[in-house]
Amino acid sequence: MKYPLKFSKNVALVLALFIVVSCAETLDFKQIEEYTLKPVVTAALVSFNAKPIQFFDSSGTIQNNSVSDVFEFKGFDESYLRNNVVKLIFNAEFKNEFDRDITIQVDFLNRSNIIIYSFSPIFVESFDVNPPPYEEEIIIADNLQVLNATQVKITASLENTTTQLNPTDTSEFDFKSSVTLFIESEF
Amino acid sequence: MKKLLFLWLILYAFKITAQNKQILYNFAELPQTLLLNPASEINYKFHIGLPFLSNISTQTGSKGVVLSDIFAVDNRNINDKIAEVISNLKPNDFIKFNSQIEIFSGGFRFDDQTYISFGFYEEIDAFGYFPKDILTLFTQGNDAFINKNFRISQISYQLDVLGVLHAGFSKKIDEKLTLGARFKIYSSAFNMQSTNNTGTFSTYESTNNLYTSYLNAVKFNARTSGLVNSETNQYIEDTSQYLKNTFFGDNLGLGFDVGFTYQMSPQLEISGSILDVGFINHKTNIKNTKVEGDFVYEGVNFTFDPDNPRNYWGEIDERFKEQLPITEDQESYISWRPTKINAALKYSFGERRSKVCYDNSFKEFYTDALGFQLHTVFRPFNPQLAFTGFYQKSITNKLHTKFTYTVDDLSFTNIGAGLSAQIGNVNFYGMVDNLLSYRNLSAANSLSLQLGFNLIFN
Repeated sequence: MKYPLKFSKNVALVLALFIVVSCAETLDFKQIEEYTLKPVVTAALVSFNAKPIQFFDSSGTIQNNSVSDVFEFKGFDESYLRNNVVKLIFNAEFKNEFDRDITIQVDFLNRSNIIIYSFSPIFVESFDVNPPPYEEEIIIADNLQVLNATQVKITASLENTTTQLNPTDTSEFDFKSSVTLFIESEF
Repeated sequence: MKKLLFLWLILYAFKITAQNKQILYNFAELPQTLLLNPASEINYKFHIGLPFLSNISTQTGSKGVVLSDIFAVDNRNINDKIAEVISNLKPNDFIKFNSQIEIFSGGFRFDDQTYISFGFYEEIDAFGYFPKDILTLFTQGNDAFINKNFRISQISYQLDVLGVLHAGFSKKIDEKLTLGARFKIYSSAFNMQSTNNTGTFSTYESTNNLYTSYLNAVKFNARTSGLVNSETNQYIEDTSQYLKNTFFGDNLGLGFDVGFTYQMSPQLEISGSILDVGFINHKTNIKNTKVEGDFVYEGVNFTFDPDNPRNYWGEIDERFKEQLPITEDQESYISWRPTKINAALKYSFGERRSKVCYDNSFKEFYTDALGFQLHTVFRPFNPQLAFTGFYQKSITNKLHTKFTYTVDDLSFTNIGAGLSAQIGNVNFYGMVDNLLSYRNLSAANSLSLQLGFNLIFN
């Protein structure tokens, strides 16, 4: 019986050693309270491809010096977005084949159709098919009224109206845009 | 996600573990070895498991991330640590846990060749892959990942809470061969599962607008049973309801285990088993959510037509609902149990001793044994394999030890130890694996613990 006893003593010793030496690195689970989700989400916003004919009335004879359209935007109705978006970046790119300059005006409107935020007018020279892209950054903390935006209105205005556009002209004004939302929310 | 993390922490705290019970397999003729191989050799007259204490088994495993990766006190920003963890995840990294508590168990010798055993245990079994792409999208958004596909197919999980009533037999066919089988009735308290999903989300630079976002070939299905009351559509908050459902609730299933032990020579034994070949038919308190379709978003294309003003947002919303409908139903479904396969080769050697069997005959055995074991469990993406080498030592006729070294998805350094002791008719056993991880439990990929008490009568 000597051998088994010695073996069992060794086993007991090894197990005891494991118990004695077992330990755990100090962990701090409260760190999770400091965790902030910071997704940055980019999506296309508004695009259009305008031809001269679109600046004329339905008869095709009377020129309108500006055209506009409205995109109803319900993103800020969502409480998650409304409570956690901290910054917006609006990006736009253009191509102007028209024979005159065009100004783009972007406005945010509230439910009452009142303008609550306007970008600086975007001026695109005639025949400029590769102008630098436009970027507008909105810090929400400095512009809380933006959270009340429910509509995005874009107006394209012809700058030189002394001579009328040729309604059959096939030149184009291209507009493409995107918005990047910077979100910061507690875990 | 907060709840999932909380669950993960709880499971770690209780050291709930994965399903490979490599130390228990074919160890010391313990009654519980019959749950791993119904053809395990048993040489006693009858046994009774101590109610609630005959088999307590908890295991947890995590591949790709351990607690200290996130919660170590290292003066690093928690955001940086979580971002690094997610970044380092691989598509097949997973978390799994399994816990069993035997409520009652027993067995008796039917005749010289046959041993009948039965019992009832409660089981929690969960497995899920870390959906790296979805976690990345959720925590970082898509802005830094233009032109990348976020794979929805990475969402794959299954969580079962169930009771299992079982009865089986181990029959000695001849001096060499023992066969066994076990039949099981599963009673599900609740089940959550989402598997075989497909689809991607991606945002690409575009020609029509600056970007185009795609939800491509999406087929997502999340099923639950026993969790949401189908009449009120509210979560069942009464925990006793879940417990009741583990005792022959409405969501029942059937399954079986089969096994064999073959004595190739007095010293060489080969054995194997297939466990949990079965299913559960979920038909009560079902809530299934399905998303299926494709959707392309390029923003809003202004037409500048004052005569026909358009509700652009409404059009997008309508198109989204039409092309990528989210539907809920209460259709019954079947969940398959994760089938496991065990195989072992054992070579016995050392001192020859004899022990008294149920019929007062003597059976000779060797004090030492060496061998190999293979374990496979079938998971949604791929079967998971574990290879174990073991050494068994019987110190006395009543005191047995087993040491294992296991290589699996989680570790190349998993050393385990088990002890079975019998004093009079009282048997106690205890097993722990991944002993090296006890140097720092916070950094352990897996931990497991099994213990129990039986009364064994010759």
